[in-house]
Amino acid sequence: MNDKMKKAFDQIHAEDELKQSTMEYIRRNAQAQEKPKIKAYRYLVPALACLVFLIVGSFVYLTPTANISIDINPSIELSVNRFDRVVSVKSYNDDGKELKAQLDIKNMKITKAVEQVMANDTIEALLSKDEILTIGVIGNDKEKSEKILSEVEACTEKQKNTYCYSASTQEVEGAHEMGLSCGKYKAYLELHSLDGSITAEDVRNMTMREIRDLISRLSSDSGTDPQFSGNGGQQSSDCTESEHNGSHSGKGQHGKNHKKSEK
Amino acid sequence: MRSEQDINRTIEKYADTVRRICIIHLKNYDDAEDIFQNVFLKYALCDIAFESDEHKKSWIIRVTLNACKDLLKSFFHRKTTSLDELIEQPAEMPQDNREVLEAVLALPQKYRDVVYLHYYEGYTAAEIGSILGKNVNTVYTLLTRSKNLLREKLEGDGYER
Repeated sequence: MNDKMKKAFDQIHAEDELKQSTMEYIRRNAQAQEKPKIKAYRYLVPALACLVFLIVGSFVYLTPTANISIDINPSIELSVNRFDRVVSVKSYNDDGKELKAQLDIKNMKITKAVEQVMANDTIEALLSKDEILTIGVIGNDKEKSEKILSEVEACTEKQKNTYCYSASTQEVEGAHEMGLSCGKYKAYLELHSLDGSITAEDVRNMTMREIRDLISRLSSDSGTDPQFSGNGGQQSSDCTESEHNGSHSGKGQHGKNHKKSEK
Repeated sequence: MRSEQDINRTIEKYADTVRRICIIHLKNYDDAEDIFQNVFLKYALCDIAFESDEHKKSWIIRVTLNACKDLLKSFFHRKTTSLDELIEQPAEMPQDNREVLEAVLALPQKYRDVVYLHYYEGYTAAEIGSILGKNVNTVYTLLTRSKNLLREKLEGDGYER
């Protein structure tokens, strides 16, 4: 049977025509198909597109369009992106650092973030001690800032002693250079126009209540300023933590003197 | 990419082998042409360094068998009937020893490869196993069964063993 089989198969030959057409076909197609590098590009293009999309997306997401400055004494600033989400939290003094550590508000909606800040124990304690909380919305886009401001106001209206305001970026340009949050910086500017000897260092660790009181005192009787500062020097020794009515400016000055001696 | 001379030489040398496998599996010339193009294009583009002619031959057999299988299971092939079959025109088949070929073609598909590789190409069961990716014992079984089937057919036609 082997022989028969062999003979039978031996008779089968590839037709010359078939061979020729195959050679022809390969001559035509081999060149075209032999480009593995192009194949690699085919995978690379969508991969790169995804990468670009990711980078652009995260860039858009992480770019802050507005800052929210929250000050009592702890000063923190929340950076908000265009989707109204908090992308970063910065602290501007030691109390702020502590507060920042307690908060977990990254990637939250603004309203929720502000609510959580308000609900924070430290803040509540401070507010119940009659401290002033200021919340500032700083952004270039007015409409956007106002929208955020109204949202923030809605969150805080139950609380007494909170003040909301908005500001443009230009107004508070110098804030971060001085190491102040925007809210403190605004107050500092106000204070500085009344009393040129106030420095950023003094303001940094004063509470908003102290700053406000100092401002109102200075502006109400700016004529008697020198007298007060003289008094302040004397009073500083017996000025205590408890808030005497008359000692507000003195306390402010005290803080200033203290800082200066430290330097 | 291999040189054109190399490709032409390979086509000349292995065309008959490929054609025989095509005959076993496929029914018409056009399909065989497809297989030829696929197999030799693959050879032209692959950069396997063959150790020997034996190695190259078994590679080509392997590729051809796979190409045939792919063609047979392709959607187009399963859903259409070739014109040749409709006219019942016998595929170009040599006249002598025709019965033997017909007997082989009448075998179930899975036996044909082993029969061809064993009886014509003279591969041992172990070699067939490695070419087809099958266990050696499976190959033995397939061979025995196909031997019996062939014997039945051919003896009925007056062939001795």
